[in-house]
Amino acid sequence: MGMEQVWLLPAIPAALFALLALFNRAMPRGGDGLAILGMLAVVVLALFVTLDFQSSFVDGKFAPGSEHVYAFEWAKVGDSLLIEFSTYVDGITVLMLAVVSIVTLMVMLYSVGYMDGEPRYGWYFAVLSGFAAAMLMLVTSGNLLLLYLSWEAVGLASYLLIGFYWERQSAAEAAKKAFITTRIGDVGLLIGIILLWRGAGSFDIQDIIEVAHGGGFDNLYLTVSMLFLFAGAAGKSAQFPLHVWLPDAMEGPTPVSALIHAATMVVAGVYLVARMMPVFDEVLIARDVVLYIGLTTAAMGATMGLVTSDIKRVLAYSTVSQLGFMFVALGVGSVTAAMFHLFTHAFFKSLLFLGSGSVIHGTGAQMVEELGGLWRKLPATTLFFIVGSVALAGIVPLAGFWSKDEILVALQGGAPMPLFAILAATSLLTAIYTTRLVLLTFFGEPKDRHAYDHAHESPPPMLLPMLILAGLSVVAGFVAFEGVGKVLGFAGGVGNVVFTQGDKGHVFAFHPDVAIGATALGLAGIVIGFVYWWGRAERAERARAWAPELHDLLVQRYYMDHLYQVTIDKVILGLATVVARFDRLVINESGVDGTAQGIGFTGFRLKFLQTGRIPSYALAMALGVAVLAIVAFGRT
Amino acid sequence: MTTSEGYLLLALPLIPLGSAILLMLIPSGERNAIKAVTGLASLAMFIISVYVFFAFDYRGDQFQGVIDWPWLQNAGFLGKDGIQLKVGLDGIAAPMVLLTGIVILSGTWVSWKIENRLKDFFVLLFVLVAGVYGTFVALDLFFWFLLYETAVLPMYLLIAVWGSGRREYGAMKLMMMLVAASILIFVAIFGIFTEAGLGTFDMPALFDAEYGRNFQLVMFPLVALGCGTLAGIFPFHPWSPDGHAAAPTAVSMLHAGVLMKLGAFGIIRLGFQMLPEGAEFWAPALLTLGIIGALYGAVGALRQTDFKLMTGFSSVSHMGYVFVGLGTLNLIGMSGAVLQMFAHGVMTALFFLLIGALYDQSHDREFNHYSGMARRMPIWAVFFVIAGLASFGLPGLSGFIAELHIFIGAFRAYPLVGALAVLTAAITATYLLRMFAQTFFGEPSPRWSSVGEISWTERAGATVLAISIFALGLWPSPWIDRVAAGLEAGIPEVLL
Repeated sequence: MGMEQVWLLPAIPAALFALLALFNRAMPRGGDGLAILGMLAVVVLALFVTLDFQSSFVDGKFAPGSEHVYAFEWAKVGDSLLIEFSTYVDGITVLMLAVVSIVTLMVMLYSVGYMDGEPRYGWYFAVLSGFAAAMLMLVTSGNLLLLYLSWEAVGLASYLLIGFYWERQSAAEAAKKAFITTRIGDVGLLIGIILLWRGAGSFDIQDIIEVAHGGGFDNLYLTVSMLFLFAGAAGKSAQFPLHVWLPDAMEGPTPVSALIHAATMVVAGVYLVARMMPVFDEVLIARDVVLYIGLTTAAMGATMGLVTSDIKRVLAYSTVSQLGFMFVALGVGSVTAAMFHLFTHAFFKSLLFLGSGSVIHGTGAQMVEELGGLWRKLPATTLFFIVGSVALAGIVPLAGFWSKDEILVALQGGAPMPLFAILAATSLLTAIYTTRLVLLTFFGEPKDRHAYDHAHESPPPMLLPMLILAGLSVVAGFVAFEGVGKVLGFAGGVGNVVFTQGDKGHVFAFHPDVAIGATALGLAGIVIGFVYWWGRAERAERARAWAPELHDLLVQRYYMDHLYQVTIDKVILGLATVVARFDRLVINESGVDGTAQGIGFTGFRLKFLQTGRIPSYALAMALGVAVLAIVAFGRT
Repeated sequence: MTTSEGYLLLALPLIPLGSAILLMLIPSGERNAIKAVTGLASLAMFIISVYVFFAFDYRGDQFQGVIDWPWLQNAGFLGKDGIQLKVGLDGIAAPMVLLTGIVILSGTWVSWKIENRLKDFFVLLFVLVAGVYGTFVALDLFFWFLLYETAVLPMYLLIAVWGSGRREYGAMKLMMMLVAASILIFVAIFGIFTEAGLGTFDMPALFDAEYGRNFQLVMFPLVALGCGTLAGIFPFHPWSPDGHAAAPTAVSMLHAGVLMKLGAFGIIRLGFQMLPEGAEFWAPALLTLGIIGALYGAVGALRQTDFKLMTGFSSVSHMGYVFVGLGTLNLIGMSGAVLQMFAHGVMTALFFLLIGALYDQSHDREFNHYSGMARRMPIWAVFFVIAGLASFGLPGLSGFIAELHIFIGAFRAYPLVGALAVLTAAITATYLLRMFAQTFFGEPSPRWSSVGEISWTERAGATVLAISIFALGLWPSPWIDRVAAGLEAGIPEVLL
């Protein structure tokens, strides 16, 4: 079992999806045990793949060979078009496999407790398996078309899971919004893929990279193609201006938010850009677009997270913002930093989501106005949530510290100073909103006595996955060190292998100056958070009163949702009305019916020529003869 | 495919024709006998269709299973070959035959519940199917046109007698437009016969014949508009939404599923295969009408609240893709066009089957009047979602593979058109998802508490169609291999 058999990883959950989707009602507990066993097998197989990959890593260099496997020819049109399914394994893939398989397994375990007794319980596990299959296929795919296929499939799984409680109109609307918004990005993705195919004559990622390196593309053409490709990434990864769907996606069950909308699917865009980085390196304008979009999103997400009341939505804005961080890293060409942050973020953010799920499960409330003081009732959840929050705030030595630091280092070296300042300020905001969330949820006085009195700690099946993820949130950052990799038995050191593939010499670098500054910012953020939200919330009220317009702007999400709603209602549906009217009035009633009436009317008029009176017929005949005579004699 | 298997091709139109005659002999009251005859006949058609599809060897001759008998020869203007009873299958027709088999099988099952004049309904329906099959397998232009008309004409009675809503209007509009269009085809066919000067209607001979350039430039638009009207080409589509809205379920299924493909098939056969220079000259116009139709249908569908009208606009949009594919003049795009004909056929048939299943219970086609139907009719909703996902091109389902080829072909020819085509798919997703959110989800409305799950025959029919959607989506090579081979052999070099 090695890299050649990596196709087994998506195949197992795919088979389980088919099985569970059709027969979950006939199985004990909807077949959840089967889904979990399947995922466990995937984790083990992913480990084998990783080991095989490590063994091909000799003397600090990756010896290529078995990483690229053609599975089969899917479709072929004469000599014009060939679509092959192929798999590809490199450092980025291995990293993604670890994230996807571990987080999926944790979320499935957690769901056994969280979703217990829900209707459609078996269907839920079926879709989770289907999602895992699609996501694993996405990250192991060697060609862009197969990637697109899995890309759409994860989108479908996301749609089904956001809309899991479809009796709620808001869930149905959120699912629709998520699918359509990402679909708009996907238009770009598909256009980008076809444009790249048109230039390179292949869908294979390595072929495209080769052609791009060989100067086989016109520069402008390649820039446009990569921007289209990035549109897809921005849609999936909830980047400005397509970020609006992610907060609404919180309508789905909380474990789903942890898995799909924090750790895995939403990072697919980051993965795609990282995978295509050698091509982005050829067109720096496109890469700059990635940088600026990422930075905008990071800042916007963090500011919106400051004023939101729903704990899940705070975490969603946080995810939007953190994904922005990853794109910033990609924008300066550092795959290392982006993938490292993706890796650590997956653990602490899914931990935070599971923690919020535990709160919701224990209290039935999810607005901070209804919570507070929960540390007495939910001690374990509180502890895990704080671990995740500290990791998110980037406090040494937790996972988030190392990876966020790496992004700041990359930005310091690769972009103008103001950009660095904006990102540093965003880190500060991150610490502030995180602290706010923790204080309002778990400390202070309970704001809703009823919810508080009935609050209870979650059962062990929910706490165990949180414990594991909390552990990972503490230690995941250490893999950046070569020494840790050696201890774990990986020849080259995990940090070296995973984070340098495809990267132009950007290995993990620890800069004490940046690290100290970032830590200071993080601590400052926590202090500010305490000042404003510890105990009574007067200061927060005062801050709101100080700049009510700004507060309103943030609460209204920069009015972007409104803008889109107006665009859809007025512009798009307006156009649709025009088309529908045009079709009814012009084409149908004037064109078709009008022609019919015209013929009818002409016939009606013509019938009066048949008067039935012989003198008029005789007159017409005489006139005819006269005309013919003139014509005949006129010629001669 | 051997010559003796050609008799199976001959059987395809003869089975429905024979069954129609047999049905006439059965008393109207014998519903079970009618069901037995139609059930057996449609099953036989289905099995033969599947068999000949797979028996067709895409590495072999262009036309396989060719059988011909002389019919009229050395008489008047007819020469040695004259008119023959000639059938054969090529890679373009093979998926169309399969499509017809699939749609008639499920269409027959869901029509058994018709109360009013069941026998007469099936007689007409089977005559129609005989015409459809005949057109796909005919290799003699005289019979080709005869059968083409045979497929179109029963439509009038089927809609006017068994339809709903504005059925007289819908039936009349459909018939007037299609008959007017047929006149153009009629002119073109006799033009082609005369210009070729061979004294024969033998189609392979006519494919190879020489036609003057000016002749081709004049004739191609006649074929494109004549056949295009049946295929719902913009702006000659208005019969389609109204006709579909008025037609009974099985007729909508066959009509949108198969008959519209007959039009596109005619453009390929007469236009591209016989008049290549005309096709080359007019291809940009065809492509332009196609992309306009695709966008127009999709945007128009955004505003429809009637299930059938929405599907009718959606059909205009999806058939627009077919013209885009044909207009690209490259093998990928044209293959996509034929694949799209199949893909659209099965998914539209599924749409109409499900809409009919709901309408028969509720007599209301306004989807704003529904909510939470996934609770009342979960199986129905699942099938509907499958058809919808196929319709907006979700990978793994039939629509994607067809649209992908069209997109790629379009990008190769005109990138802007390709981009617009991809955009259309996003609009399609929008109107379908809006309808899903409205109809299937939300709190179940008490108004429809009497509406229950679809019947077993409807489930069976929907299953056949859904399997076809998955088959093409997951395992497309049997289709693509045949289509590509058929086009490579059949379309003159200048066009590819």
